[in-house]
Amino acid sequence: MVKVYIPTVLRKITNGQTRVEAEAADIRSLLDRLEARFPGLKGQLVDSQGNLFRFVNVYVNNREVDELQGLGTPLREEDEVALIPAMAGGAVGGAFSLEQGLRYARHIILPEIGGQGQRKLLRSKVLLIGAGGLGSPAALYLGAAGVGTMGIVDFDTVDLTNLHRQILHGHKNIGRLKVDSARETVNDINPDVQVVPHREALTSANALEIIGQYDLVVNGCDNFATRYLANDACYFLKKPLVDGSIFRFEGQATVFMPGKGCYRCLFPAPPPPGAVPSCAEAGVLGVLPGIIGVIQAIETIKLILGLGEPLVNRLLLFDSLAMEFREVKIRRAPDCPLCGDNPTVTELIDYEAFCGGPMATTGG
Amino acid sequence: MVKLTAAQRQDIFAHALEGRPNEVCGLLGGREGRVHKVYRTRNKANSPVRYEIEPQDLIRCHLELEANDMELVGIYHSHVFSEAYPSNTDVRLAYYPDALYLLVSLMDDGNPILRAFRILKAQPTDERGEIAEVPIEVEAAEL
Ligand SMILES: [Zn+2]
Repeated sequence: MVKVYIPTVLRKITNGQTRVEAEAADIRSLLDRLEARFPGLKGQLVDSQGNLFRFVNVYVNNREVDELQGLGTPLREEDEVALIPAMAGGAVGGAFSLEQGLRYARHIILPEIGGQGQRKLLRSKVLLIGAGGLGSPAALYLGAAGVGTMGIVDFDTVDLTNLHRQILHGHKNIGRLKVDSARETVNDINPDVQVVPHREALTSANALEIIGQYDLVVNGCDNFATRYLANDACYFLKKPLVDGSIFRFEGQATVFMPGKGCYRCLFPAPPPPGAVPSCAEAGVLGVLPGIIGVIQAIETIKLILGLGEPLVNRLLLFDSLAMEFREVKIRRAPDCPLCGDNPTVTELIDYEAFCGGPMATTGG
Repeated sequence: MVKLTAAQRQDIFAHALEGRPNEVCGLLGGREGRVHKVYRTRNKANSPVRYEIEPQDLIRCHLELEANDMELVGIYHSHVFSEAYPSNTDVRLAYYPDALYLLVSLMDDGNPILRAFRILKAQPTDERGEIAEVPIEVEAAEL
């Protein structure tokens, strides 16, 4: 007779018996004998091919059978057999791979972010309008932070005159589509990010469909038509809009939460065409979009994580020459044509006609 | 509720820190939810993201627990880069429904974290299960 030790896990099948005895020449025949007495036992120990499951350690006289002859290990009178499920596991198969654990370690140890927050970032979907001056730092930091899906709308190609501020793109990328260059740069920093290129201008025809795929929008556009379009589309789709803009040495940023005010509350109508010169006409300090785009990236992460006080109902003004930040309170205007009490804009309109200028979708 | 002494907890933390960058594992023997002895075991997987208690250590501990009339109170292991929370792998390979699973996180190595869980599955071999946290009471070492 062979004595068999039954572990707790299997005692339901052996009617609570801790030790049973059986007659058998080797482990394989022992399992068959036990199965005949305790139906279902063998199925817990070997798979359909008759191999031992990896999680069960079988011992003969306290030596594991893997070191002996496996299932063919011969048994003699008075041998003691023990069936002991393995104790195993490990971080693999957890929320993060080993590489992700290291990559985001400094986020994860922040109690305000933790593993849960990092998982939220990895599941988040952010759309960048423009891969230019503002979109560049925003894309770099949001990508590095592990924003899982990053859409980028931009139809433009990289031009030499972009490179003093649009740090997503390198000299070797001149002439390439900005979305392609952006995707390469972001994935170079963090291959976790799925960059979705939208190689087109944002228009009234595609805005709802594109923006609808994302959780929130980072506005890095350089013209009034796109700014009004993004504002209206985000309002209709109830998506937060993290807005930023730059002009020469000054910039501003704010977050428009649907229902809490919008760009039209501040500027119901665009300036007359030509009244405000573009970056190309007026020039811009190359570092400036770095500051504003990074503020947009921080606000985006705060919104995704529900962290801190978002820049909602506040317009942050930055003057790089004075090196001064100022804040202006803003609120929903009851007479806003879009989000006011009696809205007149109830669907997307012709923004080029509205602004009297062509749309471009690249950061200033 | 699981009770252990500050010294026992320190022993588990020390084991985890010594074993880095690999995960470490061990058993906790005791009675009625109170830990009497920490058994360090070898990690057969030798991996920063996996553990498997060396089978020879496993049976040695089983026999010792039985000889001393102790229960298997818990099974501990470390997560070097992630939270002190059971991973999918931990749940899938949890074959001890009556034992607690204790996890040490070394994400912040200056401040290791220990948490205890019960992993509830209809069948021990099920891939998925419920995870219920169990409070840990740390007692001052006996004088
Ligand atoms: Zn408004």
